[in-house]
Order: sequence, then structure tokens, then C-alpha cells
Amino acid sequence: MNATIQEIEGIDDYWGPAFRSVYEGEGHEAFVQQLDDRIKQHDKEIEKLCNFHYQGFIDSIRELLQVRSHAEELHAEISNVDANVKETTEALCIRADELIRARRVELNIAATIEKMELCLPLLTTYSKLKSQVEAKRYYPALKTLEQLEHVLLPRVGPYKWCAQISSDIPRLRQAIRDASMADLRDFLENIRRLSPQVGAMALKQTQDMMGRSLANIISKKDKSQGLTASDGPQCPHELVDFSPLHRCLHIHTVLGAKNDFIQYYRSQRRQQARLVLIPSSGNLHDSIQGIRNYLHAVLGFFILEEHLLTAGAGLVSKDWLLDTWGMSVTKVASTLRTNTSLVTDPNLMLKIKDQIMLFINTLKCYGLPTDPLPLLLQEMAEHYTEVLMQRWVGVFRDILDNGSFLPIEVQNQEEYDSVMDKFPYDGEELETQPFPRKFPFSSLVTSVYVQVKEFIYAWLMYSAGLGLGGERRAGAARHSASLLLSRSFAGCLSALFRRPLPLVQLVQIIVDTQYLEDATVCLYEFISNITGSELVTTQAAGSMFQAARDDAEQQICDKLEKKVDEFLDLENYDWLLVEPIGQASSFVTDMLSYLSGVLTSLEQLPERARVAAVRAATNRIATRLRALLLDPAVKQISSGALYQLDLDVIQCEQFAAGEPVPGLREGELLEHFASLRQLLDLITGWDWSSYLHDVGIDGGKYTLVTPKDAATLLEKLKEAEQKSSVFSVLKKNERDRRKLLDTVLKQLKQLQNQDS
Amino acid sequence: MAKTYDCLFKLLLIGDSGVGKTSILFRFSEDAFNISFISTIGIDFKIRTIDLDGKKVKLQIWDTAGQERFRTITTAYYRGSMGIMLVYDVTNEKSFENIKNWIRNIEENASADVEKMILGNKCDLDSQRQVSKERGEQLAIEYQIKFVETSAKDSLNVEYAFYTLARDIKAKMEKKQKEASNPSGGRSGVHKPTLNDARKPVTWLSRCSVL
Ligand SMILES: Nc1nc2c(ncn2[C@@H]2O[C@H](COP(=O)(O)OP(=O)(O)O)[C@@H](O)[C@H]2O)c(=O)[nH]1
Ligand SMILES: [Mg+2]
Repeated sequence: MNATIQEIEGIDDYWGPAFRSVYEGEGHEAFVQQLDDRIKQHDKEIEKLCNFHYQGFIDSIRELLQVRSHAEELHAEISNVDANVKETTEALCIRADELIRARRVELNIAATIEKMELCLPLLTTYSKLKSQVEAKRYYPALKTLEQLEHVLLPRVGPYKWCAQISSDIPRLRQAIRDASMADLRDFLENIRRLSPQVGAMALKQTQDMMGRSLANIISKKDKSQGLTASDGPQCPHELVDFSPLHRCLHIHTVLGAKNDFIQYYRSQRRQQARLVLIPSSGNLHDSIQGIRNYLHAVLGFFILEEHLLTAGAGLVSKDWLLDTWGMSVTKVASTLRTNTSLVTDPNLMLKIKDQIMLFINTLKCYGLPTDPLPLLLQEMAEHYTEVLMQRWVGVFRDILDNGSFLPIEVQNQEEYDSVMDKFPYDGEELETQPFPRKFPFSSLVTSVYVQVKEFIYAWLMYSAGLGLGGERRAGAARHSASLLLSRSFAGCLSALFRRPLPLVQLVQIIVDTQYLEDATVCLYEFISNITGSELVTTQAAGSMFQAARDDAEQQICDKLEKKVDEFLDLENYDWLLVEPIGQASSFVTDMLSYLSGVLTSLEQLPERARVAAVRAATNRIATRLRALLLDPAVKQISSGALYQLDLDVIQCEQFAAGEPVPGLREGELLEHFASLRQLLDLITGWDWSSYLHDVGIDGGKYTLVTPKDAATLLEKLKEAEQKSSVFSVLKKNERDRRKLLDTVLKQLKQLQNQDS
Repeated sequence: MAKTYDCLFKLLLIGDSGVGKTSILFRFSEDAFNISFISTIGIDFKIRTIDLDGKKVKLQIWDTAGQERFRTITTAYYRGSMGIMLVYDVTNEKSFENIKNWIRNIEENASADVEKMILGNKCDLDSQRQVSKERGEQLAIEYQIKFVETSAKDSLNVEYAFYTLARDIKAKMEKKQKEASNPSGGRSGVHKPTLNDARKPVTWLSRCSVL
């Protein structure tokens, strides 16, 4: 039983098993007893305990009551102290607060300064950037920009204004790029303006170099001794300040757009090249200045490019330069070709040629290919020859217009010598004659000869310096000289002959051309002398002026025929003349004496021409006289008139037989009169039987008389006889004659019908 | 055949070289003037038909060269001439003085009844004048020949001179005609000179067949 109580006392809870054992055991009363005993024991113990602590408790209460009063005292004391403290620390507290605020401000300031110090470089750099941009120092500006962007800005915090600057950077960059482009444009503009000067200077240098000779150098030296060495540019390209270009290149390199820039530069220059290639002053053929300016500009342009090529930097590549040049030189050649083809002034041509030569030589100095310019010079040579010829046509025309066409007559030795100086004439015979002496040729010969020499001089001027060999030059000069004579001069002569000229001029011209022709050999000699080449003895074209001479001869013949016509127009036959006056008609005698007069005055002419002239005249006389006889307007011809005409014809035949000029075939001129003579003989001789017998037989006496002509004339005779015998009675023989006449007429008519 | 003219007069121009004979003839026949000197070769002629009182008169005018070389040829033409123009140059004293010699020349070579006239040419060149108009007139009076100053260049009095000479010839011819006219008629005006006449200058009056 005790165990169970112990168990219960030992265990706080989980009393179940203990209760169970109690429940299930017997002795509940005992247990309860015991339990009561236990409780009584515990109560006694509690009572003892309380008795033990009760005094202590009372003491404590008492003490506690004492603490209370002490506490109250303390409280009052402390309150007092507190009030005192409060009073004394109030000012202090205010100061402390102030101090705290000041400290805080101080700290803030320090912090701000620190931040500001970080910002300051950014800001100064930024302003530096601005001023650099303003001063157009774009390259440093870009560097600054770079620093700003990559170093300074990240260092400074994310301020609003930083963001602003950050956002400003691309804009600035673009602005710099634009500005540098503007600079490039200025530069391009500038070199366009300066190029001609560059070209001019280069040409000048080439010229000086080519004209460099010892004497030249010495005289130059003398001149320049007084002067200090010139401080101007030594090389043409120094005239141009390339720094803007290089700056631009740097800028674009920095901007990472180097290639774009190079492309841009090249395309701009290409465009400029196109502009340069179009002559600014429209017509280049007006003056040398135009050509000069043009070539200067072109040359200047390429010298600058060439300089950039040698300067490296990659702006200009060799390929690009050669390509651009190739395009340009073709254009230059064609521009020059078009313009020079319009030039009509040989001096200008020469100047142009010199200028182009200089141009070519300068190109060589700068290593630029010169083709096709040398070819152009050759083409121009042809044009120059044309121009010269044109000019000399004018000269020849002047000479011909003002020519007296009289043999040169000299009064004294001086005059004689001056003619001999001008023209190569073998004066051996003339030398012995007394003054005044007369040359066989007119001043035309000397003037033309001198002018051809002038022409040759002028012509050779062009080929000078072209580097042709002496032989080639001489050959071409010979060719041009003979072309000048055979084409230009002969052309002028032909033009001269187009209008009627007095006989004396015609004669002299024929003589003169012969002298000129003979002198071509001397011209060739002259050419080989001045070109220092071997004398070429090819036969001079002997018939150079034959066509002109033929013209002149033809005109002489025409003139004589016209004069014959004029005489024959004066014919005043009385066709019903009863009895001839026994004298030739005056127009015939006048005409014949006129002709012999003229023929004597033609004695200077080559035989051929005189023969042609006299033939033409005689033939004309015969033709006209015969036409007169057969003229249908003349209805009747009396035998008296017939005899008169016969007499006149006889005069003419005498003239013809008298060999009016030498060189005629025996009886040649008479042949012109043959048909007229036969007709007259037939009628006056009344030889009808032979005529009718011989008709149609070769070698007959009257082979040249056609039945028609015979009938026509007979008819006229019959008419006249009928008219004269209207009132008279015919005698027997007259009647017979009339009968015969009728019969013959009938037979002639028959013959005519047979023929037709 | 219808004649293109009624009458033919042969005229002759003489005078020193350079006085303007060719120019005068050129002016009269072509109505033009050429400044350049064209030397006359031997002898030359031009023909111009003029109208005189309704008659077509053909003038065959011979121009002579002054050169000695052609003198013999020239004189042969004196014979057939019906009228002679004696030309001098008013700017050339010598050419004026020579007129007397030319007149003598005419007397020796031309037919006696030849009509003459003196021309003082180049009267346009007044500033260079050496022979006054009065002296020309004086000379003309002395020889009883008509006189006029001309300018081939300005075409002054050239027509007048030739018309005057032609008219005088015509008048003289008509006068002779009347004197010699045969009342018995027949075909007009054909004289038949005998062969003996040949040495003497044939009178030109015989030449004009239709008047
Ligand atoms: N001023 C002027 N010059 C004339 C006149 N007639 C002729 N001449 C010039 O005088 C020069 C000789 O003339 P030309 O007719 O040949 O003289 P010719 O020798 O008598 O036939 C030529 O240069 C003519 O141009 C004239 O009336 N006035
Ligand atoms: Mg003359």
C-alpha cells in the first residue's frame, strides 16, 4: 500500500496503472486510510513550514515599507536633479543640434566636391571639344571626343547632363564629319582654282629645262646674282596646301570611314576632271591663251594627283590615276583636234603646237603616258599645211591681182642684183647687155618664188622640234611645196583665167609659169640645204602648170576668135555687087594686119601656143566666111559679090600661106580654107562637069563640097541673076548658062536626095 | 541679110603711154574702170554701136601702144582712120607737149580729111595737175581742133568726146556726100578707087556704103 502511494507521489501523471492496481486490489479502505494519513502528514508539514517562515515574512514587509519612503525621497531628489540638468543642458543641446547640422553640411559639401572633381575634367574636355570644333580643329576634336566618351563619361555618375552629353556625342561626331567634308569641298574648290597655276608652273619649268644651254644658265646666273634665292615654291605642287585634305583623311580614318572617304575623294576628283576637260572659254581656236589655260588646268590637275600618289596615304592609286588620265588624255586630244581644226591662223597653229609639245614633255617628266598626243601633232601638221596653203592662196591671189605681168626691167646693177638674189636665173646672156636690162619673166616669178620659200620656212617651222629626221622633213617639205605650186598656185591661176585677161597678161603668165616650173629644182635644193638633208634629184613635176597654161592658151585662142568675130561682124558685103572693086574688103585687110600684129607680139610664147592661136584664128576666119556665103538670110549673091568674097578669101589664104608663126606644118593653115576654096573654085570656075563626075570619088578636086552646099550657093547666084535681068533680054550664051544652071541644080538636088 | 548697122567709123586713140587711152576706151566700151595698169599689146580695138540721129553707127576704136616697138604697126592704122583722139594726161606736162609731135605724126600718116579731137585725161586728179585747162584750150585753138577734158576714172566727158567726134565725122561725110552726089542716081555711094590709088591713103569716105 505504501508502494502505491509512493508510486503516485513519484509519478506526476500517468496514474492510470496505480489506480488500476488500487481499483483491482482490495483494501480500498486501507488505502484511503493511508491516503488520509498522508494528507494529515502533509498538512502538518505545511503548518510547520509556515510557522518557520512567518517572522521572516513580517520582517520583510516592514522593510518594504521603509523602502517605500526612501524611494519617494529619492524620487524627489532625482526630479530636482533632472530639472537642474535640464536647465543647464538646454543651450548645449541647441549648440549640439547646430553642430550636427553643420557637420552634416560639411559632409555633404565634401561629398559634392568629390563628385564635382570627378565631373570637372569631363566638363573641361567637353568645352575643349566645343572650342576645337569651333576652331575647326576636327582631328583633335575627335580625339577629345573619344576620351570623353570612353574615359570620362563612364567615370562620372549617371547624371542627367551626362546623359545629355552622351546623347550629344553622335551629333558632334556627325557635325565634325560634315564640317570636315565642307573643308574637303573648300579644298577641292581651292585646287580647282590653283590647278592652272600648278600646270603653268610645271610647263614653265619644263620650258626652262629644255631651253637650258650654257649661255642661258650663265646669263640667268648673272641676273639672279643680285637677288636672294627666291623663297617661292620650288615645285608646282607646293602651290597647293594639302593639309586640309590630309586632315580630312585623318578624321575619316578616325571615324572609321577611310575607304568611304577615299572613294568619295576619287569620285569628286573624277567629276572635277570632267569639268577641267571641258574648255572653260568655249572656243579654244580664238587665241593661244585659251589653249594655254586649258592645258594648264589639265596638267595642274594631274600633277596634283601624281603628287598625292607619290605622297602615299592611299588617296590616289596608280591604277586609278592612270585610268583617269587615260580617259582624260583621249578627251584632251579630241578637244584639241576639234578646236585646232578650226584654226586658220598659221602662227596660232605654231603656238599651239609648241604648247602641246611642252605639254607632252611635261607629261613625260611626271611619268604620264603621252599617247595619243603625238599622233594629234601629226594630224595637226596636215591641218597646218592646209592652213598655210590657204594663207598662201591669199598671198598668190594678191600677187596675181596686183601683177603687172610685164617683163621685169632693171635700170642699174643694184636692181639687177636684187632680182638675181630673189630668183635663180641664168643671167649669162643678160649680164652683157647694157642697162636697162629686161628679164624674160615678170615680177610674178620672183614674188611667187620668194613666197614659196617663205612657205617652206613657215612649213618647216611646224616640224621643228618634232623630232623628225632631216630626210623625212625634207621629203614632206618637198611634197608640200610642190603641192602648194601645183594645187594652190595653179588654182589661183585657174581662177585668174576665169575672167578675161588682156592678151599680154596671158602671154606673160604662160612664160612665167615655165620659169617657175624650171625653178622647182632650185627649191628642192633650197629645202635640202635648210633641212641639212641630201639633195633629192627626182625630176620636178614638169607639167605642174600645164593645165593653167592650157587654160591660158585656150583663152588666147578664144580671144583671137572673138576678135575675128568682131571683124567679121563688120562685114558689109553688097551681095548684088555688079563689079568687084578690085581690092580686098577693108575689114579683111584690117583683120589680117591686126592678126599679124598680134602674132608678132606673141613671139615670147612657146611655139605650141602660138601655133594653136594662129590655127584657131584661121579656122575661125574660114568658118565664118564660108558661113557667110551659105547664110540662108542672104538670098542672092551676084557674081560680082562672089568675086569680091573670093578676093577676100585669097587675102586670107595668102596670110595663111605666109607662115605667120614658125613651127607650122607646110600648108597646114591653108587646109582650113580648103572647103571654102573648093566651093568658090567650083562656082567661079563653073566646073560642074568635073564636080558631077567626081562626086563620091576619093581624091577628087571638090571632095569637100557637098551637093547641098553647092546647090545652096547656086540657088543664090540664080536668084541674083534673075533679079538683075528682069528687064533685059537674055543673050544666047546667057540663056545657055541659065539652062545649064537649072540642069546642074536639078542634078545636085538628086544627089542630095540620094545622100539622104 | 539685114545689116546690124548703118555705118562704120574707124577711130584711133593716140598719145603717150600711160595717159589713159586704154582706160578711156575701156570706159567707153565696157563702162568700167580698172585701176591696175594693163599694158596694151601692139594694137587693139573695141567696137561699140551708137545711135546718131536715128542711124546705127558702129565705132571701131583702135587703141595703140605707145611703145616704140609697135610704132610701125600703129602707123599702118592711121590710114584707115576717120577720126583720131589725141590724148594727153593733165598731170603729165610731157604728154601734153608731145601732142604736137603726135599731130605731126598724123599729118604724115593719116588721110588728110581725118577728124581730130584733143582729150586732156585724168582731170579728176586736180591736185596733181600740171597742165591747166586753158593751155589745153589754147592748143586746140591753135590747131583748130575740138578739145575736152576727160576722166576715164570718173566717167567724165568720155561719152561726150566720142559722140562729138562721131557726129563731126558724120557731118563731114554728109557734106562730102552732097558735093559728090551724082544726080543721075544709081546705087549709092560706091566709089571705085583705081588700083593706082593704093599708095595714097584711101579716103575713108568711100567706106560708108549706106547713108
Ligand atoms: N585718176 C585717173 N587715173 C587714170 C585715168 N585714166 C587712166 N588712169 C590710170 O592711168 C594709168 C594708165 O592708164 P592706161 O589706160 O593704161 O594708159 P595708156 O597707156 O594710155 O593706155 C592706169 O593706171 C590708169 O588706171 C583717169 O581718168 N583718172
Ligand atoms: Mg594702153
